[in-house]
Amino acid sequence: MHETRPAKITSPIVSLSDGYVRTIPSALIVAAIGLVLSLILSGGTERFLYVYLTNFAFLLSICLGCLFFVIIMFLTRAGWSVTLRRIAELYAMCTLPLAILFLPILITVLSGSDVLYPWVNGGWSIHNSDGALAHLPADQLPPLEQLKAAFLSPGFFSVRWIAYFAVWGTLAAFFLFTSLRQDKEGGIQLTHRMQAIAAPALIVFAATVVFASFDLEMSLEPFWFSTMFPVYFFAGGVLSALATITLTALWLQRTGRVTDEITTEHYHDMGKLMFGFVVFWGYIAFSQFLLIWYANIPEETFWYDLRINKNGWKTLSYVLLIGHLFIPFLAMMGRTVRRNKNIMFGATIYLLVMHWLDHFWLVMPHYNHAPGGHVRGLATTSFLTMIGDVACTVAMVAAFIAIFCLVARTRPLVPLQDPRLGEALNHEVH
Amino acid sequence: MAEKSSNESKEQKLVGLLAQFDDPETLVHACNEARESGYIKMDAYSPFPVHGIDPAIGIKRSILPLIVLSIALGAVVLGMGLQLYANGQDTAWPFPGYKFLISGKPIFSIPANIPVTFEIIVLSSAFATFFGMWILNKLPRLSNPLHRVSRFKRVTNDKFFLLLESADEKFNRSGSESQLKGWGAVSIDEVNQDLTDNELPKWLTTVGILGAILLMLPPAAIFSQWGQTNRHPRLHVVPDMDWQHKSKTQTVAANLSNELDGVRMMYNDLRSARRPVDGAIALGSLDIDSELNYGIKSDFAYTITSGGNALTGVAGSQGEKKEDTGAITVPAEQENIEKYVTTFPENFELTQEVLDRGQQRFEIYCAACHGYAGAGNGLVNQRAMALAATGGATWTSARSLHDVDVKDDAKNPVGRIYDTITNGRNNMGPYKAQIPVNDRWAIVAYVKALQETGIQSDTPVVEDK
Repeated sequence: MHETRPAKITSPIVSLSDGYVRTIPSALIVAAIGLVLSLILSGGTERFLYVYLTNFAFLLSICLGCLFFVIIMFLTRAGWSVTLRRIAELYAMCTLPLAILFLPILITVLSGSDVLYPWVNGGWSIHNSDGALAHLPADQLPPLEQLKAAFLSPGFFSVRWIAYFAVWGTLAAFFLFTSLRQDKEGGIQLTHRMQAIAAPALIVFAATVVFASFDLEMSLEPFWFSTMFPVYFFAGGVLSALATITLTALWLQRTGRVTDEITTEHYHDMGKLMFGFVVFWGYIAFSQFLLIWYANIPEETFWYDLRINKNGWKTLSYVLLIGHLFIPFLAMMGRTVRRNKNIMFGATIYLLVMHWLDHFWLVMPHYNHAPGGHVRGLATTSFLTMIGDVACTVAMVAAFIAIFCLVARTRPLVPLQDPRLGEALNHEVH
Repeated sequence: MAEKSSNESKEQKLVGLLAQFDDPETLVHACNEARESGYIKMDAYSPFPVHGIDPAIGIKRSILPLIVLSIALGAVVLGMGLQLYANGQDTAWPFPGYKFLISGKPIFSIPANIPVTFEIIVLSSAFATFFGMWILNKLPRLSNPLHRVSRFKRVTNDKFFLLLESADEKFNRSGSESQLKGWGAVSIDEVNQDLTDNELPKWLTTVGILGAILLMLPPAAIFSQWGQTNRHPRLHVVPDMDWQHKSKTQTVAANLSNELDGVRMMYNDLRSARRPVDGAIALGSLDIDSELNYGIKSDFAYTITSGGNALTGVAGSQGEKKEDTGAITVPAEQENIEKYVTTFPENFELTQEVLDRGQQRFEIYCAACHGYAGAGNGLVNQRAMALAATGGATWTSARSLHDVDVKDDAKNPVGRIYDTITNGRNNMGPYKAQIPVNDRWAIVAYVKALQETGIQSDTPVVEDK
């Protein structure tokens, strides 16, 4: 028999409480060991930096996806998701500490090293048809590339990244701290304020994410053209953000926190959203591919050529097509799957692994074409190097968990006095 | 007006008991009670979705998602199959396709076919959902007996109802009523179905017939003009489409001002299209094989180099075709028979299929004048000769392919037959625009076969076929 629940938090533990104090030191130790191990196994900073960039992009896209989740929930005045929103708000707030993890990349660029980005020294490092590296001065670049070269300079790059982190940090802080203030004060005025900010926030968010994706991953190959790339970055980011929120909620409930507030109904709806974004990711990935494939223009196709015909990347391309699209599409279609917490636990981890592979696929092929490195494909990567990649990933994720614990601390993991709390508690999927 | 009297006069059937409740909680409670008492055929009505009502009245999960899924999977097969059928393959009956080569892509390629397949999936899923929902809900219904209960009107406003159907095994007119009262019903109404309700209203029939007649007027107007001539100028329903602001190929537009409504009509050199880049060769027109493309030995061919691309031409191949001068037969210039190839070119493979193709092409392009057997007595030739005999026309008879001169390999090698088809000879026009290279060689092969079998030149065309 169904009863309407009162809009009250009933779980005994609604925060990380003292758990975070225990987690942070061990996570930081894992991070330190992992990074050192990865540096050793990668055989130098070069490959390490690429794997580091992969992981940074992976984590950043998750945080940005969470920020998007928060904004869109206020924009649509959603009631069902209120109990999940705080987790997203906390992850969005992690964007600001992520700026520290961005420093190695920024320092590499500012030191004038074109290990990562071939545009660092004004001109672009490119490979001749025989594989030898050549440096093309800026004034010898084709006309369109000269315009790009003006945009891609270390100074302007740094300014942009400061601006991105400032914008994301401000937005995340606004939503998190307004929401935390509402925990104490209550009232609908704060919700109205966040709703009013949500629409302009979404515009600013879109503009910054577009350029950040250009800067972070697309400019690894500055000759390439694709207007679809930022949407691709965004689609994967939101998908993994949904997976991260769900996974965090499941983990919190398994450890006895917020047991009453997040129900099967919420997991069901998060499953639907994830299903939607699996399709959206596939739609965008295919849209990007189809236009380039169809037009068949060399300055666009070489990017896919690298990932389909060169150095063993074809396998990973197919793994993404099947593992990132077909399998989750069929697996997450069913209602039974979405309402089963154990399956959802596995599914979210699976989706996050796929999203990590997606960023690996975006970044790593350029390592093989980086200065000094010619034909070092996926197939020829040694086992120890792969262990180094995994070590770097474990380290970065551990650092990220430490950041999350630091941000979450003893803060409530559900909004305590949101005016739509009752709606969320009584949420039911029809 | 006549509601009361008609209600009494018509045949009535008890559908069930409709109980009214004042709040959703009581409704859910009553539904649970009814289900637990063993009622199966019942339905609840409320102004908004009530939480927990589905399990309360024992509604099972809809099979609609499965229907949609299976239809969507069928759509994948349909979409892919349609494209495979239409342009993915090139077989004969029963599935003749069009192997369109588009942008050099494979004839059947999965990436190019995904958008169409995707759209078909979306469309069929939407239809499956929409119409599946209708069918599962037994819609559309012309009338529902519930609307005869006046209290029921507030179901869209603030009242909640439970209907126990009389078709249910547990239903008992008085017993059910007292049960409903026990569950908290505020009021209970009998729902009666008027058995005449299912009949179409008479006015609807009239309107339907009238509408159908009106709908038939436009096609009738069109059919009345079938095969008629008309002196009026045609109607231009969409003038923008009939007179488009664009330059047509191979024309110099009349308005040399170059601007029309702000649309640039052509390039500054007054062309309507750009010239190809020097040395560009259109796809499939690289004819460096002079034996295959011209029927001429490579020793007699010349190569010109332009912009880094080699182009092959044949000396004199342009000069041999003369203007069609009607009755006057232009004598062939002294031509060098030596230059024609005497055997089929290396890059042309002669098989039975090619020969059959040659026969088919011959009967399309050549038989009209030369006759099906190549006797030079095709229908066009017969008619033209008949007209010429009465002075109504001038005509030079088509050659019989069985003439000694034509059959002679020394005087008329295969390369020369090919050249004849390509560029024409005497009064015969060139066919290079109509017939592709390989088909021309196939026709040559068929002509040689005809000459070998030596069918008599006086065989009548009709019987021959």
